[in-house]
Amino acid sequence: MKLHEHLPAFLVMVPLLGAFLTPLVASFGRVVRNVFFVFFSLLTLVIAVSIGMSVFGGQILVYVMGGENFALTLPSGMTYPVRILFEIDAFGALLILCIALAAFAGSVFSINYMDRFSGWKRFLSLYFLMTAGALGMCATGDLFNFFVFVEVSSIASFGLIAFWRDKPETIEASYKYMLVSQVAALLLLIAIGTLYGRYNALNMSALAAMARTGTLDRVVLALIISILAFKCGAFPMHAWMPDAYAETPSGVTCLLVTVSQASFYGLIRVCYSIFPGVAREGTVGWILIVLGCMSMFFGVMMAVVQHEIKRLMGYHSISQVGYMLLAMGVGLLALDGRGNAAAYGLTAMKGGLFHVMNYSIYKALLFLCAGSLYYATGTRDLDKMGGLARNMPWTTGMFVVAAAAISGLPPFNGFVSKLLIYESSFVVHPLLPAIAMITSVLTLASFVKVFQSAFLGPAKTKFIAVREVPAGMLTGMMVLTVVTLLLSLFPGWFMNNVFTKAAEALVDHEGYIRAVMGGGM
Amino acid sequence: MWGQVTSGFGYWDVFTWFFFFALISFFVLWVRSLGRMDYKRNSDQDEIYWSGNEVPEDGAQISVPASSSYWGFRVAMEPLYRILLAFHSGNASDYAGYFVVTAALVGLLILL
Repeated sequence: MKLHEHLPAFLVMVPLLGAFLTPLVASFGRVVRNVFFVFFSLLTLVIAVSIGMSVFGGQILVYVMGGENFALTLPSGMTYPVRILFEIDAFGALLILCIALAAFAGSVFSINYMDRFSGWKRFLSLYFLMTAGALGMCATGDLFNFFVFVEVSSIASFGLIAFWRDKPETIEASYKYMLVSQVAALLLLIAIGTLYGRYNALNMSALAAMARTGTLDRVVLALIISILAFKCGAFPMHAWMPDAYAETPSGVTCLLVTVSQASFYGLIRVCYSIFPGVAREGTVGWILIVLGCMSMFFGVMMAVVQHEIKRLMGYHSISQVGYMLLAMGVGLLALDGRGNAAAYGLTAMKGGLFHVMNYSIYKALLFLCAGSLYYATGTRDLDKMGGLARNMPWTTGMFVVAAAAISGLPPFNGFVSKLLIYESSFVVHPLLPAIAMITSVLTLASFVKVFQSAFLGPAKTKFIAVREVPAGMLTGMMVLTVVTLLLSLFPGWFMNNVFTKAAEALVDHEGYIRAVMGGGM
Repeated sequence: MWGQVTSGFGYWDVFTWFFFFALISFFVLWVRSLGRMDYKRNSDQDEIYWSGNEVPEDGAQISVPASSSYWGFRVAMEPLYRILLAFHSGNASDYAGYFVVTAALVGLLILL
């Protein structure tokens, strides 16, 4: 058996196995538990990188479960693929890489961060389940499986948001997210059921080959756009996000950021690969642009006035999701445009996908920095912090890198992706880059506030005894800092080998269908 | 060309940026070196000037809290903040309502 052929299956199997082995392994003591946690997260990352290496080379990985042959998508006599099927192209691999990286950094960070608390068995199981759910969302080639993975990651996240269940705020945050999330999940099930009733298929490639532009298809597309825009935190459906991000343990928030990106993946996949006919008519592009602009502006406006560090970062997440929605909306609008518009559409998509990775990495790093501050000072309130740069030089340095990157300061990676988005969105309407730039300025303003309040200023008597956080937490943050610096120093390499491939895979509607259906249908 | 990205309108090159950053830093440091050199460590010049008042021992009493930052901006944008704060009511039924209304609007726009 060639192991590398089964990588798509291992990708979900390893964290799932981790989740179910946890109760057994955790009883062998602290050291075994910690090694197990980091090893399984690292193994998932290695698998994700291996998948990336195959897929960014131009291949689409297809894996069929439960059949006589894992490569046989359409057994003889069958018109539709009916089994559980994974289909990973460059776009999916990009998201998988981001999720696995955040999961690894979060696991290394959590070893020390969570050491003060009990409930490790629950924590580890839910952490691995959430990782498996998010990875499955980006790997699956079947809409019903996508729904199942959405639910796996959602249910795990409800538990993790309410992990510190002795605090009423955590229960409230989890309850609010659960309530709206379940309304959305029901509608998602209805939407997928409607597609099944209409086309007799759930496989995404089969649906992509058959989807028409009728009324029912439009209703389904509208439902899926709204549901997944809610899950990735787009305005005005974002209200769950600051609460949830603020109350979750920081190692989990780091992963939660990429889980919301898995919903973004679903949204973009449905628009570009399954319903390109309706999505590229114009209205859907403008819907994404308007949702993006509202998310960018109102998210950052709310962030500027926050004084609770994780809540502030939660509002920034809404704002950053706005950039990606704007870029992908511009892509939908401009791809079929005249003259150079199509090239700018592709540039917008590349910028948007670059921003997906940037956001996943620097936002995860910022949440880990916020977790370090909470670990060291016992507070998340910026009003109470101050002068911590003297006591926590490593955390300060890594915070500066992440804050400069999210604010779009050159030469950091955030600047590059934002530049591509500004320039390409200008082709659609000059107001769009103006809104994006104002958002960027306000982002810088709020991170200057965080830096000044937490790290600068005179030392406070109550924090004299504060020391740098333990090595495990620093290592988790260091992993993400190194990736941020690599993305900043070699944007050309990443652009040519990752983001361009991902954008081209997304536009290649025929290629996505052919990988599963062959010449059929 | 690992450091270069083309945008369509132009390009970004991180190493060119570093070159100009080093060049400008050189001139900035050169101009700085032409300044006064009469600063004395551990003298009165080291003392914090706090509007002529005595400087408190605890740093907590002289730092600007985060909630006071951008006070002017907040006051100027008060009407918008009033709407935004009302929107974030904390009521889960409202949040479910926003989702349903947005889904309906998106559906209407795509159907039209």
